[in-house]
Amino acid sequence: MASTQEKLISHVMKEEPVGSRNKVTVVGVGMVGMASAISILIKELADELALVDVMEDKLKGEAMDLQHGGLFLRTPKIVADKDYSVTANSKVVVVTAGARQQEGESRLNLVQRNVNIFKFIIPNIVKYSPNCILLIVSNPVDILTYVAWKLSGFPRHRVIGSGTNLDSARFRFLMGERLNLHPSSCHGWIIGEHGDSSVPVWSGVNVAGVSLKELNPDMGTDSDKEDWRTVHKMVVDGAYEVIKLKGYTSWAIGLSVADLVETILKNLRKVHPVSTLVQGMHGVKDEVFLSVPCVLGNSGLTDVVHMTLKLEEEQQLIKSAETLWGVQKELTL
Amino acid sequence: MVITWWYLYLALRRLCRQTWIMASVMQKLITPLASGPAEPPRNKVTVVGVGQVGMACAVSILLRELADEMALVDVMEDKLKGEMMDLQHGSLFLKTPTIVADKDYSVTANSRIVVVTAGVRQQEGESRLNLVQRNVNIFKHIIPQIVKYSPNCTLVVVSNPVDVLTYVTWKLSGLPKHRVIGSGTNLDSARFRYLMAEKLGIHSSSFNGWILGEHGDSSVPVWSGANVAGVSLQKLNPDIGTDADKENWKEAHKMVVDSAYEVIRLKGYTNWAIGLSVADLTESLIKNLNRIHPVSTMVKGMYGINDEVYLSLPCVLNNGGVASVVNMTLTDEEVGQLRKSAETLWGIQKDLKDL
Repeated sequence: MASTQEKLISHVMKEEPVGSRNKVTVVGVGMVGMASAISILIKELADELALVDVMEDKLKGEAMDLQHGGLFLRTPKIVADKDYSVTANSKVVVVTAGARQQEGESRLNLVQRNVNIFKFIIPNIVKYSPNCILLIVSNPVDILTYVAWKLSGFPRHRVIGSGTNLDSARFRFLMGERLNLHPSSCHGWIIGEHGDSSVPVWSGVNVAGVSLKELNPDMGTDSDKEDWRTVHKMVVDGAYEVIKLKGYTSWAIGLSVADLVETILKNLRKVHPVSTLVQGMHGVKDEVFLSVPCVLGNSGLTDVVHMTLKLEEEQQLIKSAETLWGVQKELTL
Repeated sequence: MVITWWYLYLALRRLCRQTWIMASVMQKLITPLASGPAEPPRNKVTVVGVGQVGMACAVSILLRELADEMALVDVMEDKLKGEMMDLQHGSLFLKTPTIVADKDYSVTANSRIVVVTAGVRQQEGESRLNLVQRNVNIFKHIIPQIVKYSPNCTLVVVSNPVDVLTYVTWKLSGLPKHRVIGSGTNLDSARFRYLMAEKLGIHSSSFNGWILGEHGDSSVPVWSGANVAGVSLQKLNPDIGTDADKENWKEAHKMVVDSAYEVIRLKGYTNWAIGLSVADLTESLIKNLNRIHPVSTMVKGMYGINDEVYLSLPCVLNNGGVASVVNMTLTDEEVGQLRKSAETLWGIQKDLKDL
């Protein structure tokens, strides 16, 4: 008695199915993890998506909810489990797991709690996807990218922190609001620490190649009548404000993660401000991760663009590096 | 004389230079050419309610690049502002240049589509019908305001119980019935197609199956229409959908009915699937596609139903709303189930006050 399936469909391929080629795993199904997942799904970047978390019911519920939307998506396989075997053979693993900032709390405060979580997560990821690219989002992202690098044993080009990709996106949005332009036509780079001491590189801010600093030499200083420095301040305060209003941030970071995943999976070699090992650059002596403009592709972070920074900008980077190293050297890894 | 002219020239030059220095970066950078008021948006979508469902709808619509302006409305002002800011911060990665939000409905003016997700949602174990009166009261406030600012819009109602609330929306709005649509069984059908396709090892878009009627416990799976590549599953297995079926395909429909309860039990609410399905409907409406979707529409006069109720039937959607309804050949039993749903819904609707 043949089943309906057997009557309907004749299986003809003798070999084992090939399996997915562009698998993405998202670790952590909180607000940031799910925003990253839905952005990646709707942008059709992966042929398989795996979700991992420790909260089993929430994990299963989220996976089911995404699967039920399968008709409207082009990612045919969505899997989820507490067990990391479900993440095997991922090309990119996005790590969003860990504690998040409470209202008014700085990112650096989250360190030790998140290091302990990473000690469990990172070895598990590496075990099942030894050739993957790690994209770290959890905060404080620069320190945790360093931690992930140490715990994974990966070469530095395969451990990337989402860094100031989001800060720069916020900056470009605010710049666009001021100039009544789309953010993609407003160019501005924020580098350094993803957090309170990020560095806006005013000399690079431009529209259509026209340097705004040349039009307004006071830009970025206290004597600037237009107070462009407020734009950077609003970027730094941006996350705190959204957290105060809605409890967390999710959409912007999710979209920026999908942007990075796209560049990596499609081997675009676009330049993004992401967190990488900056020891030896711009006078930084310690083994720290900070955001600088990097070329991303399917091997990971292959090149770094060397910005011409002013003395005080370099000093800010060195100072951030010292702060981060001060925290990192106390960690037991 | 020459000296006076010279001093005049110097003064003028100083003035120009000062003006140049005083001019803002924007004035130096950009020379406006077209003056006059900005054009109104052509494909504006409003989402009412910024809970989990509303935001999933918003993000799905944004990522699908369907709108040139998005407005969000809610009563919770901080949450609303926070969600708006979070979306705006992602503008670099989107193609919807204007994202606005306010408690005041004036922000929704000139919308083509208004998605209504506001209202209370099911708690664990609670049925959708239980939510009725509370949501009717909320709608009495919302719907007239929407229509005031976007009298030509198409309304897509998502809040539950969706069939009753689409009826309520139709009555409160005064809009013609083809411009008031309930998200209905678009999601149930998507879930059904996903589950059936999984059993067969194919993609859900290659499995064709329709669930009609009430979005809820008494939805009707049309087994006679279930097919892959035009091959009717019922012809291969005449017991399909019945209790006598050895393969128990009926289980797939049961899982669809239970899906929402299961996901709510596990994660507290559902949002992604409904958000994606709403974006799918919005795409047909905005792009004038004339695609067929199972959505909730006014069915009085069809299948022997004499009450003014909304139930899901296969509808052709385009930029005018519901252009037409497909007449499915249903078995007597399936027609009976639709009529029974209609009676249940009318039983609830006739008791609603002040519509």
